[in-house]
Amino acid sequence: MATDDRTPAAAGGWSETEDLPGLRSELLEINMGPQHPATHGVLRLLVKTDGEIVYEVKPYIGYLHRCAEKIAEGCDYKQWTVYTDRFDYLAPMNCNFAYVTAVERFLDFPVPERAQYIRVVCAELQRIASHLIALGTFGLDMGAWTPLLYCFREREEILNLFERLCGGRMLYNYMCVGGVRFDLPEKWREDVLEFVRWFEKNKIDDYNTLLSYNKIFIERTADVGVISVEDAHAYGCTGPVLRGSGIQWDCRRNDPYAVYSHFEFDIPYGTGEVGTPGDCWDRYMVRVREMAESCKIIRQALRGLPEGPILADEIKRVLRVPAGSCYTRTESAKGELGHFIIADGGTKPFRNKVRSPSYCNLSVIEKIGRGLMVSDLVATVGSLDIVLGEIDR
Amino acid sequence: MQDRDIYELLAGKLEDAELAWREAGPEAYALVPAARIHEAAIFLREDPRLSFDLLMCLSGIDWDGYDESGKGKSVDILGYNPDGTPETSDRVAAGDLGVAYHLYSYRHDHKFAMQVRLARDNATVPTVSDVWPTADWHEREAWDLLGIRFAGHHDLQRILLDEEWVGHPLRKDYQMPDRWTEVPLAGQPYSKNPFKQDNAPPAGGDDSGEG
Repeated sequence: MATDDRTPAAAGGWSETEDLPGLRSELLEINMGPQHPATHGVLRLLVKTDGEIVYEVKPYIGYLHRCAEKIAEGCDYKQWTVYTDRFDYLAPMNCNFAYVTAVERFLDFPVPERAQYIRVVCAELQRIASHLIALGTFGLDMGAWTPLLYCFREREEILNLFERLCGGRMLYNYMCVGGVRFDLPEKWREDVLEFVRWFEKNKIDDYNTLLSYNKIFIERTADVGVISVEDAHAYGCTGPVLRGSGIQWDCRRNDPYAVYSHFEFDIPYGTGEVGTPGDCWDRYMVRVREMAESCKIIRQALRGLPEGPILADEIKRVLRVPAGSCYTRTESAKGELGHFIIADGGTKPFRNKVRSPSYCNLSVIEKIGRGLMVSDLVATVGSLDIVLGEIDR
Repeated sequence: MQDRDIYELLAGKLEDAELAWREAGPEAYALVPAARIHEAAIFLREDPRLSFDLLMCLSGIDWDGYDESGKGKSVDILGYNPDGTPETSDRVAAGDLGVAYHLYSYRHDHKFAMQVRLARDNATVPTVSDVWPTADWHEREAWDLLGIRFAGHHDLQRILLDEEWVGHPLRKDYQMPDRWTEVPLAGQPYSKNPFKQDNAPPAGGDDSGEG
């Protein structure tokens, strides 16, 4: 320890000889988690601190591991959709979407247009719901209690819409290979349009007033936990974390899947408006702005919603997937959610690896966590918006 | 750039190595000799025509029992018997292990997939975590779940499972554990459901399904 230039003494801390003879300072190892409100789940961060400064941080994960990839090898393609719900339990629609898109890459029949549009509407509603939780809990990490209640109130509206659509409020299992399970209930389309209008007009401004431009909040998040573009690429950061660093890149636009190429929307990115590009505030603000973009997509999708079947006819047989391997990625609420599937021509996948965005986004914390204050570490973890169900799988 | 052109470039760079191009299924990939993967990774990342700055995904694969004919007759994984005991098999695992790399370049907006094959008894491949730091956790996961060693990795420990876990669950011949420390993992047979009063185990009888 003595030769390291990051020792407490070198960092300007207590030195043994001058200030207080006989009193030595040393690194303190503390565990943040696995049960800790600021880790957003069962995540353990082993933090070595030098006073209030983080000297080293090492995440320990796996507390929720269920080896879903092994389960995938034991059940058929359609059955496994239900397990994808459990990855990112705050955005199950996006997880369903990613999986069915990946399987459909192998199949030679098209998915009905109407199902594609309904999927997009659901995925974007879910993205708003997931971002609302991200905003609310991030505010909570920063000591702001009220925005959480506002966010949950609006999320409740989305959950009610989903409940009418498919019966589930948290885990939907709504999308299936070849389409979606149920058609839209009566008046659902009008109610979603009404929700989008109400949400876009009143609510996003509320969050900006309550939280985004709150002076205390800016003080806590601006210039904190900056992820440079190089780090974001090197550590595989995607989604709002990548865009927060100032890259205008979105899977829905740059590598379109489903029917996303039919819609017009902007890609918000971090500009360092109140601090440095790539700081916690930028990542937060990208999410706020993305909610407005999702509203735009929902409106376009519902206005252009075609009539027709919601499930491909071919899917009613036992699903045999032609042999081959393929990696398919989609943009979930947290970032790039990909499935690498190896099919052997049978009814079960030979291998199904899930590339989850939170897994890669969290890995950057080892790099950017060094030198932060302990309370800024909380801010940084909160701004990454991780979900442990998806990390541990 | 199309992935076939990228393959030609890579094959030109590693001209003394035996590369192969596989086109089955929706995605084609290059098969690269394991010993040259680090060299290939550096070339793919550093060459200005390619500049693959994102490693999208790194997956470990166990090819044991894969049905090459495409008829879906691959070996089934071992699970639990109806009575809750782990399934066993006399089959000796034989196939290769493998690693798949999926790359993307933000700069040129092109993708590339490559794989390596590793002999089962000595599954070691050079790490690429120094080329793309995101590979660090993916490689630890592949070691954890499939037992693939990555030579040169700075911290090759289990990541999702406990340090003391025995075996690598995603191997095709992995036998499900009976219990983990004190906790029985085998499924309870339905007939021994402790909450079903009229189906209680016989007094003084067997306690194999206990707990």
